[in-house]
Amino acid sequence: MLRNEHLQKLADIVGEDFFSSAEYMNQLYSHDISALPGIVNDLINPHAEAVAQPTTSEIVSNLLKYCKENNIQVIPRGHGTSGYGGALPTKGGLVVDMTRMNEIYDIDKGSMTIQVGAGIIWGRLIEFLEDEGLSVAAYPSSAPSCTVGGWVAAGGCGIGSTKYGGIREQVVEMEVVLPDGEIISTIKPIDEVFKDDKPEPFFKGDKKFYWESEVGSENNEESTSMFIDSNGTLGIITKVVLSIIPIRKIKPMTISFPNKEQTMGAMQAILRITRPFYLHFITDEFFGMLKELDKAPDVAGEWLVLCALEGTEEENNEFAEKITKAIAMYHGTVESEEIGHHEWDERFYPMRVKRLGPSVAPSEVYVPLERMVDFIDHCNKHFKGERMAMEGAVNHRNEVAVLTWFLDDERRRIPFMFGWYRSLDVINIGIKKGGRAYSIGMWNVAHSRQFYGKEDYTKMAKLKKRTDSKSYLNSHKVFPGPLYLSTRIGLLIMLAAAIAVLIAIMVAWWIVPSILTAYVPWVVVNDPATFLLWAIVGVGVGFAVQEFANLIPISVVLSMGTPFLRLGRKIFH
Amino acid sequence: MTKPYEPLKQDGLEIEPIVCARCGFCTFVCPAYLDTLWDSQSPRGKIFQLADLIKNNKPIPADFAARIFNCTLCGACQEICQTNIPLLRFWQRVRQEIGNLEEWPEIVNYIDTSIQETQNIMEMDQEDRNLWTDMVDDLVEDRIGIKAEVAYFAGCNISFKGTLAHMGENTIKIMHAAGVDFTILGEEEYCCGNPYFVAGGFDKGIELAKHNLQKMKELGVKTVVFNCPGCHRSFSEEYPHLLGKEATEGLEFLPFSEFVLRLLNEGKIKFIKNYPHVVAWHDPCELGRHQNIYNPAREVLNAIPGIQVREMKHNRNKARCCGGGGLLKGTNPMMSVRISGRRVEEATKTGAEIMSSECPSCTMSLKDGIEHIESDMKFKDLSQIVVEALGL
Repeated sequence: MLRNEHLQKLADIVGEDFFSSAEYMNQLYSHDISALPGIVNDLINPHAEAVAQPTTSEIVSNLLKYCKENNIQVIPRGHGTSGYGGALPTKGGLVVDMTRMNEIYDIDKGSMTIQVGAGIIWGRLIEFLEDEGLSVAAYPSSAPSCTVGGWVAAGGCGIGSTKYGGIREQVVEMEVVLPDGEIISTIKPIDEVFKDDKPEPFFKGDKKFYWESEVGSENNEESTSMFIDSNGTLGIITKVVLSIIPIRKIKPMTISFPNKEQTMGAMQAILRITRPFYLHFITDEFFGMLKELDKAPDVAGEWLVLCALEGTEEENNEFAEKITKAIAMYHGTVESEEIGHHEWDERFYPMRVKRLGPSVAPSEVYVPLERMVDFIDHCNKHFKGERMAMEGAVNHRNEVAVLTWFLDDERRRIPFMFGWYRSLDVINIGIKKGGRAYSIGMWNVAHSRQFYGKEDYTKMAKLKKRTDSKSYLNSHKVFPGPLYLSTRIGLLIMLAAAIAVLIAIMVAWWIVPSILTAYVPWVVVNDPATFLLWAIVGVGVGFAVQEFANLIPISVVLSMGTPFLRLGRKIFH
Repeated sequence: MTKPYEPLKQDGLEIEPIVCARCGFCTFVCPAYLDTLWDSQSPRGKIFQLADLIKNNKPIPADFAARIFNCTLCGACQEICQTNIPLLRFWQRVRQEIGNLEEWPEIVNYIDTSIQETQNIMEMDQEDRNLWTDMVDDLVEDRIGIKAEVAYFAGCNISFKGTLAHMGENTIKIMHAAGVDFTILGEEEYCCGNPYFVAGGFDKGIELAKHNLQKMKELGVKTVVFNCPGCHRSFSEEYPHLLGKEATEGLEFLPFSEFVLRLLNEGKIKFIKNYPHVVAWHDPCELGRHQNIYNPAREVLNAIPGIQVREMKHNRNKARCCGGGGLLKGTNPMMSVRISGRRVEEATKTGAEIMSSECPSCTMSLKDGIEHIESDMKFKDLSQIVVEALGL
């Protein structure tokens, strides 16, 4: 719980204009793109107590030092455009919103890199580079609002990833503020960075907050890679150096197919010919939903593939011709140029179908392209009766980043709550088909070890333990953390326990009176005094249960809860 | 006393906060958000907060009501919305709800009183409606209230603000040069009601709409010409919405650029003077995004010999707001002028020496923006460029 003195000090560090602890502001910075069922809100209790918008790395450093010293939870945040819970507060604390660190510091046309503040959005960066005849090689489909630092921290692939890889492949270097406030450059080998004596970090911050890092020098991997996908658990990313490419012509082709087998076969055939800039598909059910919204193009088949070629006009035409020939055996129809451009323009709008919900339960998982037909069949069978839109984009490793949207209505609270299992099951099915989680955040913590690989995960865990043993920086993300039940649910548990104890005693006297008389005759509810006494005992039991529940990791709750949610959904759907 | 959120429910808009995808695309096109970088000022943030209030049937608190008016109603949020939320109407209806709660900002109440008492937003006597015609007195003295097929509707800003009077004068000069038989309503021209529509006071605009349409019909008008996109949108969109489509049947509403383009195409006017200037064009929101009218002004400018028209990075449906819409100039003048300054900076990057538009509100705002950032940019309203190129 932040006290007034904390709030004042934090405001002093970041500047009054860039700090708020107003309740409405806290609410606005306590959510991401997902709508959580009410019960999940109670279990996770995502409520920030203040929001800070630092403008320099030094301010971030001072904020972290102060928060560590005072055991204040810190939650780094880009623009809240992800849905994995990576930017959700779990134990109150301070949200550090990075959007004000949005400078373009340096563009190096020799090494083809650009250094930017972590809070700049991809859309603005792309616009800036466009004027220079340049571009980034890959950007997220949420580019109009996603920050560079946000995507680096959450990881994943996007538009351009079929050819150039995901965000991991774009980052050259980063500036990161470690949990103890030290500012490091990640391009240096990590053993250099963490040695106490040399080399000196760029900045050690305000002397009164500064103390020496106790981290040793065991790690010897380059640390850039370690901070990508780490959801801000190991440090706050303040600057990013990205590789850039010259702008080349994009030729978008929309190809329609009659079924999934032909669609997936044709996509593999396209990849044998060339690596398009972006290779993406939508299912017939997704197409049907777009049709309902009057957003579907007039095409021959209902399975659509967007294949965006990048190169000179001659190169693009040559490959387009080859692709056109190759897809003929898959009964594909190359749609008009106009439709091609329409679908290309729609690449930022995967959530159009939400209007039909009006809510959606989203999920995302990587599945090998050659297992996609199997995966789709499994999902269709598993989620029979659900309205599911599915789309996918191929990355440089021939994995498909599959995104599913289940239409739902959050106003129907109980079915919506049970429906949460679908998001978790899509990932489980994907993993069964040889895939992997798309991003970890908070909801996929159970998959952390597999996602990062045992070796890297161990290194990350060691680093976390050394720099942030109490896990004050973005707790519950990547590394499992216990529940933090809301006061409301805590009181509910205590009340329920009180009622349960009273009922249990009365039922016991009704069923086995002889045993109670013989052994515990004093366990009785027969007047107001004993009623009150046992109710208080019940409250105590409830309190103990609640405290015990607060020790259970969220990942365990999610794993144990999924079958119940699945069953509940079947009953209430 | 209406029920809570009745204005939204009337249009079935109470569900929209749930439809919102929270993707935040609307934030980085929103002038108010870009000015503050706080989500509380963004469409996403405001909708998120409203979702909770609507769900719990709680009234909009006063501080939130003030933030709702920190918005230029430019419609950029609606343009980029993933889930196609009709945000313009949504914000108007939320403002109506705020009006029902008697939480309108002071400036809106002032305008309301002014219109009720004087039929214009300036609290001036209707007899002064024709002051703007001083410089073209000889061209309009026998045109006031006469029967004609073409009417010029000046609007309150041009009628009463001396710095904008030239727009009306220019239009009259062009009409005269083209030999157009036109009329003006004079004292019978009432405020178009746009401030009410922007503030969500729809009911209060009904009488104004009825009066203006009735006068047009009495004079046998078939075509109404506007310099002000706000007035134009009121006639072409809000009047039919309020009074039914039949209320405007037989009437055609033309923004200045479209009218001039028609005269050019009919050969009634011809650009004779060379205009060797580089001009950056700014799309007024109420004409562009709100009504999808982008081309006439560009066609007119491109028809002028010697001119070089430059597009800004954000143009047409992606054009950034001048900062003057949605009553922001009254409710938060400092935010408004900063937004204007940013738009001028964008125009400067095109290398243009002149910035142009066709809207009295944009004219005022962008001139303020030029002053605010101490730019060397010059602003010339489209009518001014046209008159100069015609040699009038």
